[in-house]
Amino acid sequence: MSAGPYNYSYIFKYIIIGDMGVGKSCLLHQFTEKKFMADCPHTIGVEFGTRIIEVSGQKIKLQIWDTAGQERFRAVTRSYYRGAAGALMVYDITRRSTYNHLSSWLTDTRNLTNPSTVIFLIGNKCDLEAQRDVTYEEASKFAEENGLLFVEASAKTGDNVEEAFLETAKKIYQSIQDGRLDLNAAESGVQHKPSQPGRNNLSNDQQANKDNCPC
Amino acid sequence: MADVLSEIVLPEDLKKFEKIYHEQLYRNDVTPKAKFEYAWCLVRSKYPADIQKGIVLLEDLYRNDVEGQRDYLYYLAIGNARIKEYAKALGYVRSFLSIEPGNVQLISLKENITKKMQKEGQRGIFVAGGALLAVGALVGVGVALAKNK
Ligand SMILES: Nc1nc2c(ncn2[C@@H]2O[C@H](COP(=O)(O)OP(=O)(O)OP(=O)(O)O)[C@@H](O)[C@H]2O)c(=O)[nH]1
Ligand SMILES: [Mg+2]
Repeated sequence: MSAGPYNYSYIFKYIIIGDMGVGKSCLLHQFTEKKFMADCPHTIGVEFGTRIIEVSGQKIKLQIWDTAGQERFRAVTRSYYRGAAGALMVYDITRRSTYNHLSSWLTDTRNLTNPSTVIFLIGNKCDLEAQRDVTYEEASKFAEENGLLFVEASAKTGDNVEEAFLETAKKIYQSIQDGRLDLNAAESGVQHKPSQPGRNNLSNDQQANKDNCPC
Repeated sequence: MADVLSEIVLPEDLKKFEKIYHEQLYRNDVTPKAKFEYAWCLVRSKYPADIQKGIVLLEDLYRNDVEGQRDYLYYLAIGNARIKEYAKALGYVRSFLSIEPGNVQLISLKENITKKMQKEGQRGIFVAGGALLAVGALVGVGVALAKNK
């Protein structure tokens, strides 16, 4: 098994969760491709995306699992929560029901991830101000009460999309620096590349050699 | 982990959904949901025999449960690609794209399969539609399902 050279020094695993149609896949595509998909079909199961970012001079590869919001995928997509370092929990500011369901999404996330997992709440579609159904203040209060990071964003205009993904990474990186996140824990959702060649903290499959491609 | 073609199901998850499926089978009352969840775990197994089993279940679902057809087609493509049945896998991708052209999830799956084949030195050969499930006959249904938003 060849170990590197890697053009990044960490891998962070993210999940994106929330009701169907809130714009999870559009947020992912805006982040990875800088494009908006006006007519996006429902995700089947899970979708996967990556992008390399930089935090404090360190290159970090984000491995992002975008889950399907439709009920029939819910049972199996839960297994993707395990070992997530970051969770982006999305609702649609124009549809109150998607906001009302947040506490159940949050309960799932807390139950299935670990205490160091960074949870970021995103109120998406903030370009649709005229159709707003959830106030900023209300959501902001919910985030504060539950210790979540929070922004309103738009996958359409790109507003705050970059910020949400990057802030989550910064917070995770900070946890590593502070020693709050144990890199050797089986389900930390973080892999450190150069110091542990061939090691894989995320799962038990043989991925290390496949990750060499400079994508 | 990495991508949809290489991530591996956790053994406890596979067991969990296997148990539900078998309980229903025992009562002779299998729901498409339980069958699909079990098949979805099977095609993500590291054992080709499991994947093969998952493909059989998905083929059966595809024939008998119209509602989830685009899901079954997608996972049939993934399952076949994972056991290196690339021609079949690409056939399913192509069927899907003929119904929903421009679906980014399928386009990205197609790229992944092609990459995997190139790595293994395989040539891109399609299995003609006729050798696969009768996908063409259901085009109308697929179009209706794609426009659910
Ligand atoms: N105006 C506006 N529309 C958006 C925005 N984000 C997404 N949409 C639209 O909302 C619809 C649903 O977006 P998706 O990204 O497919 O939603 P999803 O959460 O991935 O849905 P599932 O995959 O079914 O869980 C699409 O038609 C998008 O074009 C946004 O920020 N503003
Ligand atoms: Mg989606």
